[in-house]
Amino acid sequence: MRRIGAAALSLVVFLAVWNLATILGGYPEYILPAPSVVGERAWRAIGTGILWEHTAVTLLEIVLGFVAGATAAVLTGIALGKSVLIEKVLSPYIVAAQAVPILALAPLLDIWFGGGLLARVVICALIVFFPIAIATMVGIRSVDPLLTEMLRSLGATNPQRTRLLEVPSALPVIFGGLRVGVTLAVIGAVVAEWAGASTGLGVLINIANQGLFDTPLMFVALATLAIIGLAFYGLVVIVERGLLSH
Amino acid sequence: MSSHSTSRNGLNVTIDDVGVRFGERAQGMQALSGCSLEAEAGSFTVIIGPNGCGKSTLLRLVAGLLPPTSGRITVDGSEPRPGDERVGLAFQQPRLVPWRSTLDNVALPLELAGVPGAERRVRASEALDRVGLAAAASLRPGELSGGMAQRAALARALIGDPPVLLLDEPFSALDALTRETFNDELQRLWLERPRTVVLVTHSVTEAVALADRVVVMAPRPGRVARVIEVDLPRPRPAELTGQPLAVELVTEVRAALSEGHALELRSWAEQGGAA
Repeated sequence: MRRIGAAALSLVVFLAVWNLATILGGYPEYILPAPSVVGERAWRAIGTGILWEHTAVTLLEIVLGFVAGATAAVLTGIALGKSVLIEKVLSPYIVAAQAVPILALAPLLDIWFGGGLLARVVICALIVFFPIAIATMVGIRSVDPLLTEMLRSLGATNPQRTRLLEVPSALPVIFGGLRVGVTLAVIGAVVAEWAGASTGLGVLINIANQGLFDTPLMFVALATLAIIGLAFYGLVVIVERGLLSH
Repeated sequence: MSSHSTSRNGLNVTIDDVGVRFGERAQGMQALSGCSLEAEAGSFTVIIGPNGCGKSTLLRLVAGLLPPTSGRITVDGSEPRPGDERVGLAFQQPRLVPWRSTLDNVALPLELAGVPGAERRVRASEALDRVGLAAAASLRPGELSGGMAQRAALARALIGDPPVLLLDEPFSALDALTRETFNDELQRLWLERPRTVVLVTHSVTEAVALADRVVVMAPRPGRVARVIEVDLPRPRPAELTGQPLAVELVTEVRAALSEGHALELRSWAEQGGAA
């Protein structure tokens, strides 16, 4: 209860400071709208259904992109962690792919994958991949060698060792990667939408900003993205607590 | 498991002129050299020696975790493999999996062997019962005392009912009193169900209290310095160590240990170590 109270209080303070800034600064609405204006705009956007229309698309991209990216990343991370050879062969490509700005790569991927939902899921999965793969590799590597020898003395096969020892012992580190990854998934979805899409919160930002000069609507879209990021992050934390309750 | 019917009293373990070398030729370390030892089926052998004499290496060889550089190790005539079900091994540290309950830790060898869940739990409960840990079945290793954790590790080593049991200083981290209780229990378990036991220890009294034969090792390179037969009646209560024959044996083992140590010091001085 106390934690929820603190969070609510910090939100109230945040809105008050924002409100005060608009009053003291006397900024026009198209530069910094007051929270009440944004709230009212959000209410209208919800009413017309436009907000949900764009949010639904972005949510789908995030969920599919995160699940696909995280699954591929955990599997790759296990392989990287278990085999020095695989790590030597693959890691230059993985690091290089990570160093190329996704923003620059997105239009190309959009063309490659047919410009539809699939292309956006791929872009989203790609940005999610790196932190989770690296976290998994580090987690697998940090398994207690005494326990590895113990399992060997009991005749455990390599897959048994992975399932019963390495992955469970790497879970706390893997979840560190998932926490980073899930927030990146939100960015990935928006970047992918900017590369080519007709709906989604990223598209809504562009429409509001450049088409309609409707800054309050842009703030509504940004706030929605922030809330989605917080919600998914919270979901990952809840799953983590459930799995690592010992 | 049918092959075990012929091994109700354990299996012969033979170590024949075994050498182990770690690392490359020049900087390599000779851990064991010309080591020969026979642990007869159903006998209780205690290996004692200073640090670095290759005691743990010897157990790893018998468990099949390490191949010898030279010589041959056999359990019942054939070389042991890693995970050999004829051999149970308890390490110096309990090595329990921290996120598993005590019961699930003890059941781990059965799980690896593909034994169904229900049977696993029944057998693990029985194994916990035998080492007096029935009440701790649902606790995590972090909630166990050092002694309880070692009992759980012993139960895990015993759950497959291996004819050969290897114990690598399993009680070294426990206080003297708890240790005595453990030795009593270990002896009781062994008398109830005889098997070939090889125990590594630093404690001379523990060696004499438990062993049919005490194998004294000397270090650098690790080798067998002396074998001392312990012809004391069983069961041996803790008070036994005060009796004249036991005291004599303790003195003998201690002398053999310091002899090996003195030899080592002499060779060190001859190599110019004193300069």
